[in-house]
Amino acid sequence: MNRRKFLRRVPAWAAILLAWPVSLRAGILASPVATNRLRPPGAVPEDLFAGRCIRCGRCVEVCPYHAITLLDIRAGVFAGTPLIAVEQIPCTLCMKCVQVCPTGTLARIGQEQTRMGLAVINRFTCLAWSGKTLCRTCYDKCPFKNRAIVLDRLKPVIREDTCTGCGLCTHACPVTDDLGLKAVNIEPIYAHAE
Amino acid sequence: MAQTRRDFLKKTAALSAASYVGVHLPFDGTALAGTEEGITWHPGTCRLCGSGCRLELGVKKGEPVGLRGIPGARTNFGYLCMKGMLFWKCMRHPDRLTTPLYREKKTDPFRKISWDQALDIAAARFADAVRQHGNDSVAYYGSGQALTEETYLFQKIMRGGLQTNNVEGNPRLCMASAVGGYLTSFGADEPIGGYADMEKATCFFIIGSNTAEAHPVLFRRIMRRKLDNPEVKVINADPRLSQTSRIADKHLQFRPGTDLALLNGMANVIMEEKLYDQNFLSTYATFRQGKEKKEVSLDDYRKFVAGYTPEKVAGICGGNITADDIRQVARWFATATGTVSLWTMGINQRKRGVWANNLIHNLHILTGQLLKEGADSLSLTGQPNACGGVREGGGLCHILPGHRLVKKEKLRNQVEDAWGIPRGRIPPKPGYHTMAMFSAVNDGRIKAIWINCTSPAQSLPNCDHYNKGLAREDVFIVCTDIFPTRTTEYANLVLPTAFHFEKTGVYGCTERRSQLTRKAIDPPGDARPEVWIVREWAARLADRMKDPVISQCIKPFSGLDASYDLPRAIWTEYTQKVTKGRDNDLRGATYEVLARMADGVQWPALDEKYALTGGTTKKFVKGKDPLATIHSQNDLPYQFYGPAHPDRKLWVWLRPQADPEEMPDAGYPFYLSTGRIIDHWHTMSMTGRVPELLRANPYAYVEINPRDARRLGISPGDMVEVRSRRGVNLLPAKVYEGPVEGMVFVYWHDQEESRMINKVTKDAFDPGSKEPEFKICAATVRRVSGPRPLKPFLVRG
Repeated sequence: MNRRKFLRRVPAWAAILLAWPVSLRAGILASPVATNRLRPPGAVPEDLFAGRCIRCGRCVEVCPYHAITLLDIRAGVFAGTPLIAVEQIPCTLCMKCVQVCPTGTLARIGQEQTRMGLAVINRFTCLAWSGKTLCRTCYDKCPFKNRAIVLDRLKPVIREDTCTGCGLCTHACPVTDDLGLKAVNIEPIYAHAE
Repeated sequence: MAQTRRDFLKKTAALSAASYVGVHLPFDGTALAGTEEGITWHPGTCRLCGSGCRLELGVKKGEPVGLRGIPGARTNFGYLCMKGMLFWKCMRHPDRLTTPLYREKKTDPFRKISWDQALDIAAARFADAVRQHGNDSVAYYGSGQALTEETYLFQKIMRGGLQTNNVEGNPRLCMASAVGGYLTSFGADEPIGGYADMEKATCFFIIGSNTAEAHPVLFRRIMRRKLDNPEVKVINADPRLSQTSRIADKHLQFRPGTDLALLNGMANVIMEEKLYDQNFLSTYATFRQGKEKKEVSLDDYRKFVAGYTPEKVAGICGGNITADDIRQVARWFATATGTVSLWTMGINQRKRGVWANNLIHNLHILTGQLLKEGADSLSLTGQPNACGGVREGGGLCHILPGHRLVKKEKLRNQVEDAWGIPRGRIPPKPGYHTMAMFSAVNDGRIKAIWINCTSPAQSLPNCDHYNKGLAREDVFIVCTDIFPTRTTEYANLVLPTAFHFEKTGVYGCTERRSQLTRKAIDPPGDARPEVWIVREWAARLADRMKDPVISQCIKPFSGLDASYDLPRAIWTEYTQKVTKGRDNDLRGATYEVLARMADGVQWPALDEKYALTGGTTKKFVKGKDPLATIHSQNDLPYQFYGPAHPDRKLWVWLRPQADPEEMPDAGYPFYLSTGRIIDHWHTMSMTGRVPELLRANPYAYVEINPRDARRLGISPGDMVEVRSRRGVNLLPAKVYEGPVEGMVFVYWHDQEESRMINKVTKDAFDPGSKEPEFKICAATVRRVSGPRPLKPFLVRG
């Protein structure tokens, strides 16, 4: 396909998109980023992500833990962009993906500057907070031990200035509720930041 | 939900009161919601570590549905750790062994057989071995997880029936040095005090124990004490900065293997600064030296520790230790109103583990931090019944039940009389200790071995070397277990057993406390309780060997129901006949009494009335310990009566610093140490089958100090080869400010071939206690590749 042909087809695609039922159109344009569904480290704000990422898949390829997956056609305009489902395979913060990103969609940052999201503890389902048992799995698994998660009288507390949102705690959390959520979940609060 | 208005108001009041004072009670709304109809709760003891937490198993329609703590228990006050709360999930795991499995040759696949056939084969092979190769060609290797009744019955058949003292157990690998330490220092095995001292202590000295991960519920008690009373001092001495170090006021990070020097250095400060209790020493203690236990004077001792000045010791210990640190912790230790020392494998699993134990006891004897409230020298155990079953029940090659030495004829005769078998039936020579036993398997001197409830193929140090013996075709191996393990892979005959709560029996925890667990559910398939298996096997042995004495051994137990009456009869024989008149007198702790207690009974407990009060909290204290009162010879408040010290005194030992067997050198420049992680327990056959626990820690890794990692070019997650003169592992790296520089740390639960660290560890052992030096060997570390995705692994049979 040459450039001319491609350009000629753009209006047709736009027309198809406009003619698409409104309910589905929201699905096509909706960001996949949600609770425990995060972009890899150093990602630009979500509003820019789909435009900046060229869907080369290098970050997916380089990830040694297979944590980064490539979204498929069901993700609409976000198809081909990378996403991490932290309760399945969390990010180990090896920072290999940010090194290979050719476009700067994933900025070359260090481990500690990473802000994929923020861990939030559900004090109602958390075993330590609800007083059921002496669990401190999240505390033990945190790569910034005693910095990002601290223990206050044997109960875990998140320090938002240090938490990177890597999701190692979410993955290890022994609680899974009816909605598939853990007692500690990563909220992508930085994804839509200015 | 059945809850009256009155209950509700009571609980509301309790909760408001609790929240007012900042306590979190272990019951709450969600727990109440769990008490739905149709669930019955059965009290018992936790299956995992040696803390002895009491808990209840929830059963609905005959199936386990959950576990919860018992708030009235004096061990855990209703608190449980994650392992304790979740182990019920492995009870109905599809991997459970449910039928006897047999194979003629170890290379063949297993085939299912009936119990009749299985017991016939086991009896025939043991009888043949005895007939052709002598009594010492058969052996039993048991476990600190077997119930007391099981260990007792096994050793009775082996000693009284098959006339061999080849009775050993995995506690040799974990607390033999503590036994040696207690016997040589105090004259009697097992701690003087118990957990209750933690609430009264003002100084904790934790050495060689990562209590926070290995005994989390006890750690809560220490932490609670520290949080409520910030002036309480916590000293942690460990070459690795662990989770326990986090609450320490002082963390002494010494070079591995220099612990004896450190302890002598503290004693030096105590002597130099006159912090010792002159009165206590002159009344209750003597000083001893050398193999011949020569009595020496206080001045000799002073001269001996003069060689361990804080400056010199700081130089030996390296790490972050300064002379002033040693002075500071010695002062804290000596001047506190009560000091509790805690240790586990870091001290016991050493070439000189008994000496290290002695040196801790020394500090307590010197300063009089013993026998009073809030002061104790408390060795924590790692297995739920290492104390109760194996130490007290005669589960080691040199001891008979009731803390009796095999080599003493009088004591052998007492046991023979109690069993109603001819005198002289129990051989006078102690059997093989664990390492000698598996060396004998290697040499083919042992022809038939029964391995019960443990996995030596993974848990022995330098395991590849000993697994060669287990693989020999001329060694017949019977395994009794609930899951396939690394050891069942070497077995000829695998017998499926009932799990905890599927049978009845007693566990004895760290603090001399015996606790009953009654059967609550049926075992899956055709799994049977061990006591039934042993009784039936012994009956067949008696037939085959035409030996009426073997029949006599099981005669009191024939025909009894294996789920309750049989273990009760065994316990009754053991307590009433065999512990009578011994220091672990358990006559008061009958099944009826134990069933009435929220927790259990601490021995000595001579009668039921006394046992119902909970037993003896402090040994040797007149008025608290009935035996001390009976043995009393004077008006002093304490009376020692330990069988090992004829002078009835505490002994302060002169023990020099001793290096580990293998020191790092140019070829193997790192110290390698091993240990545990909170989510797993020992060889992981149970905790690995709980998805929540496995997900948190799916495989072993090696912890490397960041400075070493930088030097070797190792980044977090890289695959690293850990190699010693014996074996090699390939593990992902965790670069972490944990181990001291020049040391790497690996946890040993993983069953995967390339991550089984006991292929690498050293099988040198303490000449006194025969406990191997798992904790220290020399290794080399090399980066192999970048991170790789790894899969958890369990033996599936």
